[in-house]
Amino acid sequence: MPRSLLDLPLKARAPFFFAYLIAQLAISIWALRSPDFVFGFQMFNASSDMKISLYRRVRYKGRSRLIAIRDGTWQAKDAHGQTHEFRWQERVRDGVLGTLDTYVHASYGLDAQLFRLKFALEDVANHVPGDEQTEAFVALVDTVKNGREYRQVRLEAARP
Amino acid sequence: MSTPDHVAPSASWLSRFFGEERDAYLLGLLRLALGVLLFLNGARLGLELARGGYFGDFFHLPIWAEGLVPSRAGYTALLAAQALAAVLAFLGLWPRGALLVASGIGLFLLGCDRLQYHNNRYALLLLGFLLAFTPCDRSLLIAKRSPHSFPLAERIAPTFARRLLQIQVSLVYLSSACGKLLDADWRGGQVLHLRFATVAPFWASHGVRLPGSIDALLSAATFASFASKFAIASELFIALGAWFPRTRRVALWAGVLFHISIELSARVELFSWVMGASYLAFVVPELRERRFEYDPRRRLGRFLANAVRALDWCARFELGELTPSEAELGAFRVRGRSGAEKRGLGGIALLAEAIPLLFPAWLPLALASKLAPKRALSSA
Repeated sequence: MPRSLLDLPLKARAPFFFAYLIAQLAISIWALRSPDFVFGFQMFNASSDMKISLYRRVRYKGRSRLIAIRDGTWQAKDAHGQTHEFRWQERVRDGVLGTLDTYVHASYGLDAQLFRLKFALEDVANHVPGDEQTEAFVALVDTVKNGREYRQVRLEAARP
Repeated sequence: MSTPDHVAPSASWLSRFFGEERDAYLLGLLRLALGVLLFLNGARLGLELARGGYFGDFFHLPIWAEGLVPSRAGYTALLAAQALAAVLAFLGLWPRGALLVASGIGLFLLGCDRLQYHNNRYALLLLGFLLAFTPCDRSLLIAKRSPHSFPLAERIAPTFARRLLQIQVSLVYLSSACGKLLDADWRGGQVLHLRFATVAPFWASHGVRLPGSIDALLSAATFASFASKFAIASELFIALGAWFPRTRRVALWAGVLFHISIELSARVELFSWVMGASYLAFVVPELRERRFEYDPRRRLGRFLANAVRALDWCARFELGELTPSEAELGAFRVRGRSGAEKRGLGGIALLAEAIPLLFPAWLPLALASKLAPKRALSSA
């Protein structure tokens, strides 16, 4: 008869059983409070769409200006005055967050995608060595919650 | 159901619950299914690594501390270990340890990037983890010389973790249903109305043009409202109904149809397959409590006997031959667990009730057999 270390003795079964259930309960409560319901089972929770328009804030003649980033691509100069080209999608490969200027389905809901986009902006802001002109990245996000609630959300991440 | 010797018959409900010992054959079948699914889940991650590059080189969002996210080499090694463990679990070589390793690696990697989190992946990994604590190593050990399963006496083993597996399956549906129930847009049908609007384009992209009547139905707000309430009720019914013998079959049947409809209208990775496999945990563990008898001289009898031999993966049926006098009444006879005997369409319905591939047809067949003239098929 096969024996396994995973054959729990009778006395250990109840603690294992209740520990698992308590852990699941704790994770579920944590998931409900998390904007993207990660580790929660929220299938098909919304039919919302979003369109991300990306900008970068640059200083020009002493004033701060927003410049649109087209197709996720922009050019900027480094400390030596040399021009480099950067692409949003080189850092952000996610299908939803990587799609700009087009409405896409916000899988797992708008809150989930806006939560992730905030971190994506910060990530890009921290990973563009050679761009000495951009002070911050700004995302204007047009959201349509379940086909009827239109709202524009502004997110910004300053460069370090 | 039996209890081990050291659990007295008068022991408390809890002692009996944790001391429950049942035939572990079906847990081996569940191990085969989850082994394949764990491998496919890991293989997809491997393909993404090969085609799209290592996720840690781009924007990712770990739940654990960034320092715990493996390097590219570490990630590759973990994926390889997960794939190997899934294969071992499938073959039946150290299967329980292999399941624990495969699911443990998967759960760890799931926390390394929440962008890659999907409910179906999490559900699969949890089920794999729990299955490791069941005696799923006593049957269908493909790597073992024939016979691949231990004899009945050695298959009877503590199966309390199977109950946890069942609870986990119910939690998936309950959590999903409650989330929808609390959302006014979901309850009212708005979410499904918009989702239905994507069905026709989805099929059109696959070269299938839906009939106008179906298109009109999917565009109707009233239909979406009804479908929303039906979907929520279905999930609640699957979660709770699977626990009671009187409602279990209908609940699992509703679950199968629920997932078929999801597969037809959305891309959900392995979700339907994972949940479909998990239903094995709800199947009565004892084997061959039903009987299928056939007339070997008739084509229908032989055909059905071959079909039962090939498709009775849950080992529900004992096969036998009808005596010549019994064969005069029909080409086959099916006896259910309750002892009720059926021929004709009713018999086919009894087969469909217990054979996984035919299970979606069970309820329509059972209803049809109630309405159809008796012995329509048995005279074939």
